[in-house]
Amino acid sequence: MSAPAGVAEARTSTALEPTAAQRMRGLRRPALVVGLLVVVAVVLAALRSGTVRGYLDPDAATPSGARALRVLLEDRGVEVVRTRTSADATARATGGRTLLVATSWLLTSAQVEELAAARADLVLVEPTPDLLAALAPGIEPAEPVTVRPRDPACTLRAATRAGRAETGGGTFTVTGPAAASAQRCYADSGRAAVVSLTSADGRTTTVLGSGAALTNDRLAREGNAALTLNLLGAQDELVWYLPTVELSAEGEGTGLRALLPGWVWLVAVQLAVTVLLVALWRGRRLGPVVVEPLPVVVRAAETTEGRGRLYQRAGARDRAAAALRAASLERLRPVVGHGRGTDPDAVVAAVAARTGRPAVDVAALLYGAAPTDDAALVRLADDLDTLERTVRRP
Amino acid sequence: MALTGRLALLALVGAGLVAVLPSWTTLVAVDALLLLAVGVDLALAGSPRALGVARSGDTAVRLGEPAQVTLTLTNPGPRRAHGRLRDAWSPSAGAAEQRHRLDVPAGERRRVTTVLRPTRRGDRRADRVTVRTLGPLGLAARQGSHAVPWTVRVLPPFTSRKHLPSKLARLRDLDGRTPVLVRGAGTEFDSLREYVPGDDVRSIDWRATARAADVMVRTWRPERDRHVLLVLDTGRTAAGRVGDAPRLDAALDAALLLAALASRAGDRVDLLAHDRVQRAAVQGASATELLPALVNAMAPLEAALVEPDWSAIAAQVLRRAPRRSLVVLLTALDPAPLELGLLPVLPLLTTRHQVVLASVGDPRVAELAAGRGEAAAVFGAAAAETVRLARARVGAELRRGGVEVVEGTPADLPPRLADTYLALKAAGRL
Repeated sequence: MSAPAGVAEARTSTALEPTAAQRMRGLRRPALVVGLLVVVAVVLAALRSGTVRGYLDPDAATPSGARALRVLLEDRGVEVVRTRTSADATARATGGRTLLVATSWLLTSAQVEELAAARADLVLVEPTPDLLAALAPGIEPAEPVTVRPRDPACTLRAATRAGRAETGGGTFTVTGPAAASAQRCYADSGRAAVVSLTSADGRTTTVLGSGAALTNDRLAREGNAALTLNLLGAQDELVWYLPTVELSAEGEGTGLRALLPGWVWLVAVQLAVTVLLVALWRGRRLGPVVVEPLPVVVRAAETTEGRGRLYQRAGARDRAAAALRAASLERLRPVVGHGRGTDPDAVVAAVAARTGRPAVDVAALLYGAAPTDDAALVRLADDLDTLERTVRRP
Repeated sequence: MALTGRLALLALVGAGLVAVLPSWTTLVAVDALLLLAVGVDLALAGSPRALGVARSGDTAVRLGEPAQVTLTLTNPGPRRAHGRLRDAWSPSAGAAEQRHRLDVPAGERRRVTTVLRPTRRGDRRADRVTVRTLGPLGLAARQGSHAVPWTVRVLPPFTSRKHLPSKLARLRDLDGRTPVLVRGAGTEFDSLREYVPGDDVRSIDWRATARAADVMVRTWRPERDRHVLLVLDTGRTAAGRVGDAPRLDAALDAALLLAALASRAGDRVDLLAHDRVQRAAVQGASATELLPALVNAMAPLEAALVEPDWSAIAAQVLRRAPRRSLVVLLTALDPAPLELGLLPVLPLLTTRHQVVLASVGDPRVAELAAGRGEAAAVFGAAAAETVRLARARVGAELRRGGVEVVEGTPADLPPRLADTYLALKAAGRL
């Protein structure tokens, strides 16, 4: 009975290593894929780069942009110059021009100071307290209110011509010597959402609590367009200053490159080479993964279990009870000396005689009605077990 | 080609160097040096392609036992082949350590042994042998694969052979090799001998006594040289998993025990494995070759998910067993396939042969049938009882048709089938 283990002689091998030409052929497909990826990336980048987005950006056509306003201003002969640096904005903001300052929360204190030298008319949208203090002394921020259509309720020409407009956001109070000449418009319980001052040298400074009226989204509503066109189109030239984060406060030799010593870049290149080498080292496998077909594995009792669950889901207590009773009878009949196909009454009588139980009870248990609920079925199963035990050991 | 961790480490050291001497020159010099080193290493590494790889070792092993397969590596090249080697096998071959160190000096040969512990019966094949030879600096390596085909046939474990001694003892009792001599222990007339006290008086041969001077008794011995045909159903019911192994494996075990017993009893044993087509067959093997031939034929058998073609099986049986034989059908006692497939062709077999149907039962069904206490368990029990009743019904029908039905769990079936065989032999029904 020993295991019929066999041993065979050596078999020789065949090299599977591909030749150089085969390798080149094998590289064709990956190269194609990489090329395709590069093309797709370039096309996507080209397509995406055209889109400008940003709050109150004069070139953005998105809902929060302000391209519509710029186009309308240009149609009316106002030259709109867009600038991104405070130095440029200050240089351009000479007399006879209007300087619009939006998104002022991006400004540093140095930039704010720089802007204070501007000689143009000012329109400050959502100004920060710092900006207000530097450019519009006397105007102070108050509690904010919701943006909703309001009536001008003042004598500012731009506002009265525009009528109702969506204003709100930040509100302002005016103190000091300027208080007398200030125009407080779109006020809500004493706090004005638009305030205009005219200084002694004739420059006007207008402060807006919210830029909502300028956006593409809301420009067409109420008197928004009229209000903003009047405010911004008062002079022939408008300098639209949209601050960006300027890393160098001095505004010279900017960028991350200038801040880091030169050797860091060289080391980074060498580290990239190292990472590439690690990837190549770990990525090369010692031969391919071996696969094998596995046999089908189905548990033999699965159908039986499934049938049980089906019984339960369908609430087939009658069938379940019938099966349990038939199985019990199958086991009881030989014990009480009856064969298959015996008259039920005879079996009941024999079981009753052997156990000493009333025949009616035994008949009800073995041939009775189907249980009405699950609890009754569980009880029936237990009762059948008890009966079988007593029949075996009376 | 493959790179090593050492090269990456050197590149990292190079990064430190660049930090100390920050200039593009340093950077380029470091990387050029690395590239040069890799080139030198690749040029000086032994060729994995030229390496001769040959295999030898076990070609057959019983399931559960280890097999050893040895690779002989010959290095015909001028340089030492040093590096790593992977002897890849399919997962169920159970190769514990597939990766080996490789160090073959020029012109020499070395052996590498892979130990397999297969987890599944059948033919386990070796995949390729992949060799990676390092250069002298250990920075880069050349890699190549060799196809060295090898197959280890994993034979059925024959776990039921532990029952064989007790069954053989029973057989010897029957055979009359023990002093006990009772009528009924066989039907084949053996010889006449003188009566000795203690012999069964019913075995006295009066006619012979009349001719002789003494009282003569007849002795009997069980039939020999009978034909046993084992028929394995490898159809869909054999695929069901009982416990941990498919039903087919339990059937193979039972068939092996019966074959071992029957060949010792002097009977001829043939095997037929069939579902829609014939899967394996052993015919006319001598007693000494029988078991190896059987396990070899059984090893690659897998259950197919098809309905067995019982009329084709019956035709095969009739062709292979021209005279009266014991036909053992190893299948599952599932009512539907048997009623539709086997019962119509059964009379063909039973008129000429003694048929035994051996079925691997599932202990899980008995477990389910004992479920009590909550509704889900009782519904499960009812389903299990339904299945058992249906099996009992088809079993009774088969018995009416003259078939012996044996059912048992994977552990019980082999001894039960052996007992049935011994009982049939004792009753002279072969």
